[in-house]
Amino acid sequence: MKPIDRRTFLCLSAALLAQSGTAHAEFWPFPGDRHEISGEEDIRGTIFKNDAPKTLWKWHKEGFSYQKLEEGKVMCNICPNRCLLAPGDRSVCRSKVNMGGTLYSLAYGNPCAVHLDPVEKKPLFHFKPGTTAFSIAATGCNFRCLNCQNWEISQVKPHEVRHEEMFPAAVAQKAREAGAASIAYTYSEATTYFEYMIDTARLATDAGLNNLWISNGYINKEPLLALCKVINAANVNLKSFDDAIYRKLNGGRLQPVLDTFRTMHEQGIHFEMTTLVVPGYIDDAEMIKKMCGWIVTNLGPDHPLHFLRFFPNYKLTRLPPTPVSTLDNFRKLAMAEGIRYVYLGNLPDHPGSNTYCHQCGQLLIERRGYQMPVSNLEGNQCKFCRTTIPGVWL
Amino acid sequence: MAIGLASVVMQLVLVREFLAQFQGNEFTIALIFFSWLILGGMGAWLALLAIRRRPAGLTRLALLSLLLAAFAAMEILAIRTLRDIIFLHGADVGFYPTMAAIFGLTAPYGILNGFLVPYSLYVLRNQQTDYPGARIYMQDNVGDIIGGVLFSFVLVLWLTPLQSVFAANLPLLAAAFLLIPGGQRVRPAFLLALAGSVAMLLAGLLLEKQSLTPFEGRLIHYEESRYGRITVHQDRELLTIFVDGAPIFSNQNVSQDEETIHFPLSQIDDPHAVLLIGAEGGMLQEAAKYRPDQVDYLEIDRQLTDVQLRYKLLEPLPGLHIIHQDGRAFLAKTDRLYDAIIINLPEPNTFQINRFFTAEFFRLARQHLQPDGIFAFSVAGFDNYLSEPARLKISSLFNTARLHFQHVLSLPGNKVYFLCCNQPLNPDIPALLNNRGINTTFISSFFSGNITPERLQYLRDNLQADTPVNLDTSPFLLRIMFQQWFARFATSPLPFIVAGFMLLTIYLCRCRREELVLFSTGFVIMGSETLVIFIYQILFGYVYEQIGLLVTVFLAGLLPGAWLGEQLRRRRNFKKTLALCDTFLILLLAFLLLALTSAHDQLQPVFFLLFGFTVSLLCGCQFPLALTLGGGDNPAAARTFSSDLIGAACGTLITSLLFIPFLGILWATVGLVLIKVFGMCALAPLLLPDAAGNDSQSGPR
Repeated sequence: MKPIDRRTFLCLSAALLAQSGTAHAEFWPFPGDRHEISGEEDIRGTIFKNDAPKTLWKWHKEGFSYQKLEEGKVMCNICPNRCLLAPGDRSVCRSKVNMGGTLYSLAYGNPCAVHLDPVEKKPLFHFKPGTTAFSIAATGCNFRCLNCQNWEISQVKPHEVRHEEMFPAAVAQKAREAGAASIAYTYSEATTYFEYMIDTARLATDAGLNNLWISNGYINKEPLLALCKVINAANVNLKSFDDAIYRKLNGGRLQPVLDTFRTMHEQGIHFEMTTLVVPGYIDDAEMIKKMCGWIVTNLGPDHPLHFLRFFPNYKLTRLPPTPVSTLDNFRKLAMAEGIRYVYLGNLPDHPGSNTYCHQCGQLLIERRGYQMPVSNLEGNQCKFCRTTIPGVWL
Repeated sequence: MAIGLASVVMQLVLVREFLAQFQGNEFTIALIFFSWLILGGMGAWLALLAIRRRPAGLTRLALLSLLLAAFAAMEILAIRTLRDIIFLHGADVGFYPTMAAIFGLTAPYGILNGFLVPYSLYVLRNQQTDYPGARIYMQDNVGDIIGGVLFSFVLVLWLTPLQSVFAANLPLLAAAFLLIPGGQRVRPAFLLALAGSVAMLLAGLLLEKQSLTPFEGRLIHYEESRYGRITVHQDRELLTIFVDGAPIFSNQNVSQDEETIHFPLSQIDDPHAVLLIGAEGGMLQEAAKYRPDQVDYLEIDRQLTDVQLRYKLLEPLPGLHIIHQDGRAFLAKTDRLYDAIIINLPEPNTFQINRFFTAEFFRLARQHLQPDGIFAFSVAGFDNYLSEPARLKISSLFNTARLHFQHVLSLPGNKVYFLCCNQPLNPDIPALLNNRGINTTFISSFFSGNITPERLQYLRDNLQADTPVNLDTSPFLLRIMFQQWFARFATSPLPFIVAGFMLLTIYLCRCRREELVLFSTGFVIMGSETLVIFIYQILFGYVYEQIGLLVTVFLAGLLPGAWLGEQLRRRRNFKKTLALCDTFLILLLAFLLLALTSAHDQLQPVFFLLFGFTVSLLCGCQFPLALTLGGGDNPAAARTFSSDLIGAACGTLITSLLFIPFLGILWATVGLVLIKVFGMCALAPLLLPDAAGNDSQSGPR
């Protein structure tokens, strides 16, 4: 072994010892907003090559909007993923397949979840409060959210779940029998069973029922415009206001969702927005302020915004819940930006779930969970100052 | 010996570290031991390749020992740092990424550690050509035993992981220093290496807390208890206690507090005595609304309740008794009867937690209830769709509870609650609370929309009467939990099983007969240890010191065994001795099987201690015998070290993930017997008369 000289030795030893002796917080290489460097940058899904079944099953329908391309390929035009499928391929959302050059949905008439829920559970606070929604879901989602509450149905293929047979006419009939005011397309991502949703919605409208679209808003303009003709209200997630977080936590992109809000606003649809406040990712006040500013500028002050408390779920189980004061602050911040109706969800017995008149500030609807012990609305007006309250009221 | 000591401490620290950074289930535990042992085997093989290129030397041994010490601290810091760079912070990691991370992050230390043991032998053999390989094995074992005892009974109680690693590596640093001949110790290169190692270990000490700082909020408390890592994070006013990286308790968890307490207590008239196994402060506050005379709160980890009390996540109430004992051990010994026993534990995805969800435990709970008392527990549920694994899990628990209770009510939701009683149960909990004048915030507001008659019916309709019950001896629930874990990450263990089976087949086909014997020996000792710890927890509860003692006896027998084997290998008929050891091991396992089937209620802790010691004694005895059979030279030493380690790796993995969950305890024992029979069959041809005369010859493949 070649000896080194005394000077080199002393310098190197000093450097090494200094490294250990002075190592403390400032030397730790990952301070501050570390989520930017954490994990995969983009978890967007990919198509499933050669994953289509050999034959179509009973619960199928030709795609509502797609292009036929050369060599039997098709491109689905329902959502911004625009899956390009060769014969035998399955879409990102798992519900669409290319069978012999034709795009089919395999989620038609086969809901895997059917429940009767309070409309407030969607959450929709300004749409016929106190009524129930006949809620259905087939499988599939065009996102890959790490905190998905319904991953057992959103992240699976149609044949991987137990389902009921319920074609559109039967859905409308069962909803009426259940005494529901509306049919909600919910739980998984309704856009992925678009054909089933729109056919059901048309029949439901004829039957005097309302249609509620509960979605991540990741849809192209053409199918959205068709949908707007038959839906009465929507709750659409605005999961964050940062494209990087959309890609990292949800496997989607921000801009198409913003476009959806603009289109719905232009079409005059009543919609409410929901943001789940995930600690460490979606709890940056600056981002929320920017988001609220965009809402007020582009959609106006009247669309209600819900901030939901996060609880560990699905793959995001190693984060704490959201502090209540963070939600309180966001509510104040959003109202200061000009949004008139800002609600806090997943919080029992909190005034943030009540509706207050944006004009006089009086309590209009007191909510205790799904119960409303106080209502000071007369028609669509505040009982105290006669201001018209945005929404669809009974 | 110093390597053995440092490496065992490092191994145990790594287990805690990976459990805290990844998922705390049996898969993670098995993968850590599996990776450790496989990497050790690879290291031993590399040592053989190394000495073919360049003879083993004292200086190199010393420098590599210093590198091993430096790796220890660096590796722990790397695990903490890279976990949140490679994987998303706050997110769980699936099976294959976990396996890759464990294998990759353990590799530098694991390979070098596996390299150094046989390399030490080669160094010694350069000085004394007939130095027995078994002696190194024994010295390594001495270090292992000291390290195991030191960590389990001293270091874990007083020091943090990086402090433990620092302390455990001091003898190695000293040994490396002493290895170098006197005159060369002051050579700059060696001093530099020594300073580098010390600096790395010191850096670990100083960066301990920084490396645990969360992304969100502040780390306001950190301590290691004997049961796991406790951290308290503060994000604004929210305090959350994390145990092994998972949020366990917080001060703003009204819904769970109310549901856990009021769902069962609203069903009984006047709860005087309530037993809570696992609870947070909010639950006790809710229980206090019934004005019980006595609330016993069982929490095995004293340090955890101290932290709860310190941060006011638990506040003293009249009648509250905090008991630091394993829930099963407590109920097995106490004569007290309760009006309600409420279990609030994490998901049953480990052997330790599964014990609270078995028919045997439910019977024990029933025996400690008043005639109209209620027993309640909960597991993760579903929002809108009951997936197949969840359906099996809930059905199994329902059927298990029905074995001991006339009425079982399961309430759907994000958590599924099971209320078990011998009196009829009423699902209209808001009405029951109303009648008693008990105010709630969550239940009174949300119950009607969340637990509707339609959703209750949906759950009832999906319960399957033919789903197997969950038993101590056959933990069906663990299988389902494994399935659920794989389903969550949309992966299957099949590729791993197929690839593992193929690699193992290739390896076994290339093994010499004596290596096959040692492979089966390694398999049986680790398999038996896993099995015995599992059984012990079922019978006597989880008592830290006793489990530590059990692990120690499984190591302690190896040393006298190896000494005995070393004496016996000189005898002409040592092959027969090797076969005799195999026979004894098979008989011993058969005896365990017999004891478990005929008298498991009468078995005493000393039985398992004796069993563990005897198994390890026999296994230890086989090592020098098999080494001699292999020829005893350097290549034979490397191969025998490797086969022992690879067998141990397979024993850990297969017993904990396949044998116990899928076959149950009894068939798992039979499985171990068959593995040893396989080893004995491999040895049989060498015992034939024509082979008997060539004692020193290596066995054919």
